[in-house]
Amino acid sequence: MSKVRTGVAALAMLAALAACGSTEPEAGGQAASDGPRVLKLWHYESADGAMGKAWAEAIKQFESSHPGVEVQFEEKAFEQIRQSAGMILNSDEAPDVMEYNKGNATAGLLSKQGLLTDLTPEVAKRGWDKLLSPSLQTTAKYDDRGIMGAGKWFGVPNYAEYVMVYYNEDLFEKHKVEVPTTFDGFTAAMDEFVKAGVTPLAVGGAEYPAQQIFYQLALSKAQRPWVDGFQLYKGKVDFHGPEFTYAAETVADWVKKGYIAKDSAALKAEDMGVSFIGGKYPIVVTGSWWYGRFASEIKDFEWGSFLWPGNTMSAGSSGNIWVVPENAENKDLAYDFIDITMKKEIQNLLGNSGGVPVAADPAAITDEKSKELIENFTKLSAGDGLAFYPDWPAPGYYDVLVAGVQNLINGSKTPSAVLDEIAGPYEENLADIGN
Amino acid sequence: MIRKYSVLVSLAVLAVVMLVPFAIVTLNALRSPQDYSANGPLSLPDGLYLDGIVEFWNRVDFGGKLWNSLLISGSVAVLAVILSVLNAYALGIGRVRGRVWIMVVFLVANTLPQEALVYPLYYLSKQAGLYDSRLGVIIIFTVIQSAFGTYLLASVLGRFPHEILEAAAIDGAGKWRALWRIVVPISRPTLSVLLIFFFIWTWNEFFLPLIFLISNENQTVPVALGVLQGDKMMDATMSSASALLGILPAVVFFLIFQRTLTRGVTVGAIK
Repeated sequence: MSKVRTGVAALAMLAALAACGSTEPEAGGQAASDGPRVLKLWHYESADGAMGKAWAEAIKQFESSHPGVEVQFEEKAFEQIRQSAGMILNSDEAPDVMEYNKGNATAGLLSKQGLLTDLTPEVAKRGWDKLLSPSLQTTAKYDDRGIMGAGKWFGVPNYAEYVMVYYNEDLFEKHKVEVPTTFDGFTAAMDEFVKAGVTPLAVGGAEYPAQQIFYQLALSKAQRPWVDGFQLYKGKVDFHGPEFTYAAETVADWVKKGYIAKDSAALKAEDMGVSFIGGKYPIVVTGSWWYGRFASEIKDFEWGSFLWPGNTMSAGSSGNIWVVPENAENKDLAYDFIDITMKKEIQNLLGNSGGVPVAADPAAITDEKSKELIENFTKLSAGDGLAFYPDWPAPGYYDVLVAGVQNLINGSKTPSAVLDEIAGPYEENLADIGN
Repeated sequence: MIRKYSVLVSLAVLAVVMLVPFAIVTLNALRSPQDYSANGPLSLPDGLYLDGIVEFWNRVDFGGKLWNSLLISGSVAVLAVILSVLNAYALGIGRVRGRVWIMVVFLVANTLPQEALVYPLYYLSKQAGLYDSRLGVIIIFTVIQSAFGTYLLASVLGRFPHEILEAAAIDGAGKWRALWRIVVPISRPTLSVLLIFFFIWTWNEFFLPLIFLISNENQTVPVALGVLQGDKMMDATMSSASALLGILPAVVFFLIFQRTLTRGVTVGAIK
């Protein structure tokens, strides 16, 4: 008999669970329509990061300037937005304004599918274009094919990022090495570290860091038209031209000279950053996205940063962008919110929290370290020096570059063979998009 | 004697291998980010650091996620078992025509990758108004899990002793009564194992909940853990803290029902 009773109990439990499941979603769906107006806002920055802090303040300002409007903010998982943004924006669950990744494969694709609102009239009306330098605007505009650089505005960037050289001041002092200001000085400094038995560069070869070094080296021999050719398909790129040839040969050479450890081909970006924080390497070449973490976690030594010596251009771009979905219910509120995030006050807060603002007042940045970060960015941006990232031009190119540069570090392929390897997928993509 | 010890030693090695990941997660969940950066993931923590766990709990409203996971996994486990029993009764004991082909279809359904299901399910759930609702996910997983359950139970019930059923029929039990009074009680150990497996499998599902549960208030535990994986950055200590919180309920559930589980697994062996 007891068996029967458990069966009945299981049925009862099921009935209760099913009842919960069916009623609640309906109730949630109705709440939005009969209450006050709601601005539905999504982003995926952590609350204690620079963007998280600045945008929390922007929400506060929005609420005080829009009484009667409720801001419904949700912190999203990056992975969720990456996997399902297209599906969400195509449904009535779309938010009014959200952070989204810039680039052809993300914002470009959605704009081509008609899921994003054309912001061009708002940009002109509110003067956002005057606050953003040309290379920052590149990632905000997409053409009919969804390719960035020209066409209509589909996004507004709030912050920027760029690749720089971080160095451990204590290790430089300990080994009596001068902090370099020229490229020759940079290699001379690394030579001295090698002589002292220290591997100078922390590199994560299994992820983005190694290809960014490769790209920085190519940029040292390049001019703007080359970048436009490579990234925006304006003109042909010769993979065996002076830029990439120099980059490939130099990376191979640096491994031979001991600047880059042979086993770094297998390391992840996280390993690279942690080993620098642990004081094991004097130099790391990586992006401003590490800045906040270095600032909060490096306690045992002094550190600083400088632009890649001798380069007028560097890997870097605008950060992620605000987009307004085509299905958004309150587009006017979304525009107002974006406008607040572009105000000096919010931008200054972003800068003082360790981010790279796009429209801050340099005088208002009080934090010493942040000043250095932002001044370097201003230098780069003023000279139109943001050259984007090497993996942008073709879908899946990131993995191609990781494999190529790993071959350079391992010495398993000659520089010339690696250049052939990375040229193939690039040319295929060109053919696909009809260039 | 030697054989006995070699078995013991290999079991001990296996146990250590299985437990090492848990140990590393626990180690890193209880250490501060500074400690992690300075000493790496494998050293012993400097001191007990619970802020990571507390902060994560508050950041994603973990209590709410637990309830969602419990609701979805619990409903799916119960519903999928019932659906499987009904299907398997028809296929295994009822011997409907073409049952071999029906079984083949269920087997193929099991091998379908979830990625292939995403778009059809997305359009269906949008049409039905179930996109971004827990009920939608419950229905989807009930069907997915019962595809496996049907396949398994149908083979089990195919060997069900017919004498018992015939005796029941002579005593005047109809098909419905035979199912609930005879078949279900006798195969209860198998059903409990299925129930537990369905619960744990659904609990650990990441991909479909990620796609279908859009609002934070509807999300499950594994989706909440995804919040910590950024574009270029990861927070190793907080990820560990969240992983620990994420696996604990499943482990607790397993420990509670462990006896049922082992009984179900060995039930065939006794005969």
